[in-house]
Amino acid sequence: MDVVGLARAQFAVTGSLHFLFVVLTLGLAPLVAIMNTRHVLSGNPLHERMTRFWGQIYVINYALGVFTGLVMEFQFGLSWSRLSHYAGDVFGAPLAMETMIAFFLESTFLGLWIFGWHRLPRGLHLACIWLVTVTAYASALFVLVANAFLQHPAGAVERGGRLALTDPGALFTNPTLVIALPHVIGAGLTTAGFTVIGASAYHLFRRTAEREFFVRSLRVGVVTAFVGTLVVVGFGYAQFEPVKTYQPGKFGGAVPGTALDAMMGIGQTLQLIAMFGLLPLLFRDLLARWRWLHPVLMLMTPLPFVAAVCGWLAREVGRQPWLVYGKLTVADALTPGLTRTDVTTSFAGFVTVLGLLALVDYALIARAVRRGPSRVALGAADDPAAPLPVPAPTF
Amino acid sequence: MDIFWFVTFAVLLAGYFALEGFDIGLGVLLPFLGRSREGRDRLVAAMAPFVLANEVWLVALAGLLFGAFPVLEGRVLSGLYPVVVALLLSWILRDAGLWFRRRADGAAWRTLWDAVLWAGSAGLAVTWGVVLAGVARGLPPAPFDLPGLAAGVVVLALFAFHGRAFAAWRLSGEPTAGDPAAGHPTTGGPRRGGRALLASGLVAALPAVVAMAALASEMLGNAAPDRTLTFLGVIVVPFAPVLVGAQVWVWRAFGRGALPSFF
Repeated sequence: MDVVGLARAQFAVTGSLHFLFVVLTLGLAPLVAIMNTRHVLSGNPLHERMTRFWGQIYVINYALGVFTGLVMEFQFGLSWSRLSHYAGDVFGAPLAMETMIAFFLESTFLGLWIFGWHRLPRGLHLACIWLVTVTAYASALFVLVANAFLQHPAGAVERGGRLALTDPGALFTNPTLVIALPHVIGAGLTTAGFTVIGASAYHLFRRTAEREFFVRSLRVGVVTAFVGTLVVVGFGYAQFEPVKTYQPGKFGGAVPGTALDAMMGIGQTLQLIAMFGLLPLLFRDLLARWRWLHPVLMLMTPLPFVAAVCGWLAREVGRQPWLVYGKLTVADALTPGLTRTDVTTSFAGFVTVLGLLALVDYALIARAVRRGPSRVALGAADDPAAPLPVPAPTF
Repeated sequence: MDIFWFVTFAVLLAGYFALEGFDIGLGVLLPFLGRSREGRDRLVAAMAPFVLANEVWLVALAGLLFGAFPVLEGRVLSGLYPVVVALLLSWILRDAGLWFRRRADGAAWRTLWDAVLWAGSAGLAVTWGVVLAGVARGLPPAPFDLPGLAAGVVVLALFAFHGRAFAAWRLSGEPTAGDPAAGHPTTGGPRRGGRALLASGLVAALPAVVAMAALASEMLGNAAPDRTLTFLGVIVVPFAPVLVGAQVWVWRAFGRGALPSFF
């Protein structure tokens, strides 16, 4: 593989890993916020347990979203410095907004929520998880503004060999943004819904002591999956029109075509299952009672994740050979003088570290699910403060 | 607008060194200040609620570099390619140590992630020194040379000093029920070390301030056009009170009292 190919593969692998975790973050955040709200409003301990259990899954998953996101942010300057030079005056702005407003606040408020149990007043603690949710969606908006600009560089003109911003509003009304954003939000809800369904099915199938907890969680998951699949499929089809207008032939290639088919196949199947199978079976909790169905529900859990990655592959590989569509090719965007050794080393480092951490993270999520809501660290009692455990050395 | 964003950039970098500096420093000191598992748990618990709010200063810094100084973003990050990759890997490993160390039981598990936390923190401090030295010297082809590593050791020492001051401040003087079984008698008394922490924060920020002063003209000469900078300002500046308020809230909520045990 040449240097461009290696740099592309590095971006594709880290980007795909990033979205695997982010898609669940986006879907779980509002669910945890709603559970927390019900707990604060009703005082029902079941809702507190649901908040802490699903909140802990959310938090463990969140870590990998951050790790992979850091690599994404720095990779533009590392491997694609000609993109920064050519389009940075336009493309950089939404990414700056994402990091300075959305992620900055998301991370700060998440810290307050994680460590603020028993410390912040309940109402303010609840406000934190809602702010985490709002800022997570703001992040998705800004990142998709940046991505949509690569798909269809609206609001900019080329001057002196570089793109200049002419119409900031056009960045936010980009036709390749406005339908993709709800599509991504639908994908998040679908993923969260089927994750909650799969984990609940596990406990119901194993006949653990937490029957009521997971019967109710299963209902939450099914309703979320129903709404999510409706949104994701609807706004999926709606994207064909702008794609035909702005990137004709996008899905003609083997990779984008296959990825698109796989995504659509999974999405439509899940939608049909959610609408005509799972939702009606909530009647009298038939879904929770029909134990023979539970292994099927568990096996479906990975499907939304596969579809999500396929969706990005279709969108990004279908843009090739352009980085900024019609303006700058991927090959021309490569950092000049970048050596094969540089990229090979960093690629190996990122894949090894992020790959291992991703596996550990999924194992920890599986462990948290298996242990169930009675052994959750999130929101547990604090350690007492104490002086330094050893005499302080002097500097 | 270019001066405004340059000053913001400098504040973010100095703030990152002053704030995240103590998290990194404490990570480096973990095996020395926390000889027992309980001791390490306490040190990590002391910094844990601050880490998420502190490390985002660098995320914001990198975003602003791209948004307001895109030409430099490409030139500096690619010019220091191996250093930036090492910095990112160190950062990720440090964070992984924090997030994972208490997510499973067993002494070996905790020891493994404490070692990762230590190594990541040390790597992060040293690579920051190499980055600053590399930028100050105009992006040398081999940044991991003697002067670069010397700068790394200086940053490591400053962060460790700062981390020590933070731990002394955070873990002092709270009237709490210690755990006699773990060798921590019940203690009380006045809180101390606030001024020392402030001073060590200023010292930790010093390398960042020096680097910013040296790079001022280079950065101002490579800012994005006014239209872009104004657009950024119109969107970002209205949120400034929220950003500052959230940071202040973290310090008010977690500066004293019992230690949260999640990390």
